[in-house]
Amino acid sequence: MAGLELTLGHYLAVSAALFTIGVFGIFVNRKNIIVILMSIELILLSVNINLVAFSVFNGTIMGQVFAMLVLTVAAAEAAVGLAILVVYFRNRGEIAVEDVNVLRG
Amino acid sequence: MALIAFYILSTIVVLSALFVVAARNPVHSVLWLILAFFTSAGLLVLIGAEFLAMLLVVVYVGAVAVLFLFVVMMLDIDFAELKQGFQNYLVVGVLVALALLAEIGIVAAAATFGGGTTFNANPGAATNAEALSRVLYTDYLLLFQMSGIVLLVAMIGAIVLTLRARPTVKRQNIAQQTGRKRKDAVELKDVRPGQGI
Amino acid sequence: MDFLADINNAIPEAALAGFGLVGLLLGAIGGDRTAGLIRLLAAVALVAASVLTAYQFQHPGAADGIAAFASATSPDGLYRVTMFTLFAKTVTYALAALALLMSGGFLKTSQMERYEYPLLIVFGSLGAGLMLSANDLMTLYVGIETLSLSSYVLAAFRRDSLKSAEAGLKYFVLGALASGLLLYGSSLIYGFTGGTAYAVIAAAPISVGLTFGLVFVVCGLSFKASAAPFHIWTPDVYEGAPAPVVAFFSTAPKIAAVALLAHVMFVTFGPHEEAWRQIISIISAASMLIGAFGALMQNSIKRILAYSSISNVGFALIGVAAGVGNGAASVLVYMTLYVIATLGMFGGVLALRRGGRAIDNVSDLNGLVKQKPGMALGLLVLIFSVAGIPPAAGFWGKLQVFQAGLQADMTWLVLVGALSSVVSLGYYLRLVWAMFMKPSAGELDKTDISIGIIVLVTSLLMFPILTVTIQMLLETAARASGG
Repeated sequence: MAGLELTLGHYLAVSAALFTIGVFGIFVNRKNIIVILMSIELILLSVNINLVAFSVFNGTIMGQVFAMLVLTVAAAEAAVGLAILVVYFRNRGEIAVEDVNVLRG
Repeated sequence: MALIAFYILSTIVVLSALFVVAARNPVHSVLWLILAFFTSAGLLVLIGAEFLAMLLVVVYVGAVAVLFLFVVMMLDIDFAELKQGFQNYLVVGVLVALALLAEIGIVAAAATFGGGTTFNANPGAATNAEALSRVLYTDYLLLFQMSGIVLLVAMIGAIVLTLRARPTVKRQNIAQQTGRKRKDAVELKDVRPGQGI
Repeated sequence: MDFLADINNAIPEAALAGFGLVGLLLGAIGGDRTAGLIRLLAAVALVAASVLTAYQFQHPGAADGIAAFASATSPDGLYRVTMFTLFAKTVTYALAALALLMSGGFLKTSQMERYEYPLLIVFGSLGAGLMLSANDLMTLYVGIETLSLSSYVLAAFRRDSLKSAEAGLKYFVLGALASGLLLYGSSLIYGFTGGTAYAVIAAAPISVGLTFGLVFVVCGLSFKASAAPFHIWTPDVYEGAPAPVVAFFSTAPKIAAVALLAHVMFVTFGPHEEAWRQIISIISAASMLIGAFGALMQNSIKRILAYSSISNVGFALIGVAAGVGNGAASVLVYMTLYVIATLGMFGGVLALRRGGRAIDNVSDLNGLVKQKPGMALGLLVLIFSVAGIPPAAGFWGKLQVFQAGLQADMTWLVLVGALSSVVSLGYYLRLVWAMFMKPSAGELDKTDISIGIIVLVTSLLMFPILTVTIQMLLETAARASGG
């Protein structure tokens, strides 16, 4: 039955896929900030899965405490991010990043 | 059995995450995001981390996703044109994604699988919630307090950025309302028949 | 374990947190009328925190090695003060207080006088102090996020301005991505070493997972310090954010972030030096070059100063790459001299106004010496110091990091540093040329007295006559690094 059990590798793979999709989403969706914010949430979700999986498979509780912190901060970050987005929208009337020419890198 | 469940759930998670990124309509993206969070909660339940799974549903689905939906609905945006640039960045995006995936694949391969298979979601306690609560308010008290500060900062930030004082808007003042006397509101006039006021 | 001694370690942070809560209540009750009062009180609280930290440094009874919040599951607890971090925290709190004090005039004239502003700076400094005192990846993360969330809001604080909102948005998106990288790295490190405490990580043998985690963590931290491949946000945020916020960003969080990067490398990954030395050297070289060449093409003063800060972070990282024995003291000296000079320079340049509008173009500085000779002379000293031109104090900082680099056999890095110093002279001298040689560009408004004092004090500190201060700084930094 060795090959038929849940292993840490399984969870790391899912988490890696989610992380990759999140970073991918930030790079691809250059025009839509809301989707960028959601991609950031996906990255944090992948970190959470990683932490909990390590915690369970190593038998130490720290990972789950860390995941709770990440969860808290993710909520705070979403609130601040959306607030800044609302301010931006009020000033500009649209949320397309690519048209941003006021500040040029 | 657990393995079958894992494969089903993880397929759903990865697919819905892809749809979050690729959906044309942000409202759909939020819905896919909710599905991704919900299914990840299932993944956590599979390995016995019930408390975190519950938190994931409560915090993400209950608060964060609703916040997202709220903002998407509030900012009345023409979404059709937002997606036009998608193809331009597709190639770069795919390359970056593949590179990252390859890197992380190496790590995952290295992890499959050395020592440390204790597999214990609640070390030193009977249930998952008990194991967490034993350390959260003792060993990790500092972090618990500091996450309160983080939430406070987020609250101050969100309010200071978005709250506008509008002097023109009429507000309800309950104390004033209930404190009103009869003589302030009603005036009795003795109207005689055949005459106006 | 001596409980009182443990609490003593955290007194500066506890004082800041306590003030933040009281100030919030005060503001909520009194409204924006109390904003000026709360700003003063916040500056006092920050100075108090700085003095308390300095006191711990002088009387290190509980410092170093003793956990303030001991934890049964991690050997050394979540929180620990060392001489190195005490030094960095003292400077961080003091500069946050100064940045707050000199912001008064600007806040009033641009209708930004709101009581949340000083509170966000207090909470941000608290986060900076916490991340420096971290002895565990979790404390590190929470501290960084407290600082970052305050910074995002501060960048967008001028909410009627499109530029400010856009600066906040860019900072937020890139900052959140960097936090994500840092977290992913932390989770890998936790998984492959079995713990989040610094001591556990330092004791673990090097493995593929740990190396990957290390790379992710370095990426995340370099973003916070605005080092080169992760510097893209810096010019935009500096240009868009309100001037006093930029003066804050470029001083207190800057030295905190660089000291944090150094501390994490030296302590957490100390035994794995071979794994990070190359990465840090490359980041350092890239920052110095990009900072030097990037600024040449710019006309906006704020953007020039942003590139200057990127390049200076690169110089400080030479000290980090040189390793703990050679470079620790030099990082502290370099960053301290740099942030003090920067505070005066930003304060002076950003406070100049013409017809009620803040100046932004280099040509707006033309003929400054004829109108405000004192300010022009002060700025001259400060610019020389930031550029590292010999008589000014900044030169000694640069000498320190170069020596550290040479001691660690990193001649190529020192050569890159020397090259970018020469290149960056181009734009520093352009500012000086505009101030002293060009005909006047028109009448400037009266500047705030607090700005004048800050420029005077900082330029005196950077002045070669006061080399005794530099000597003191060198000795203290050497003590802080265990030399």
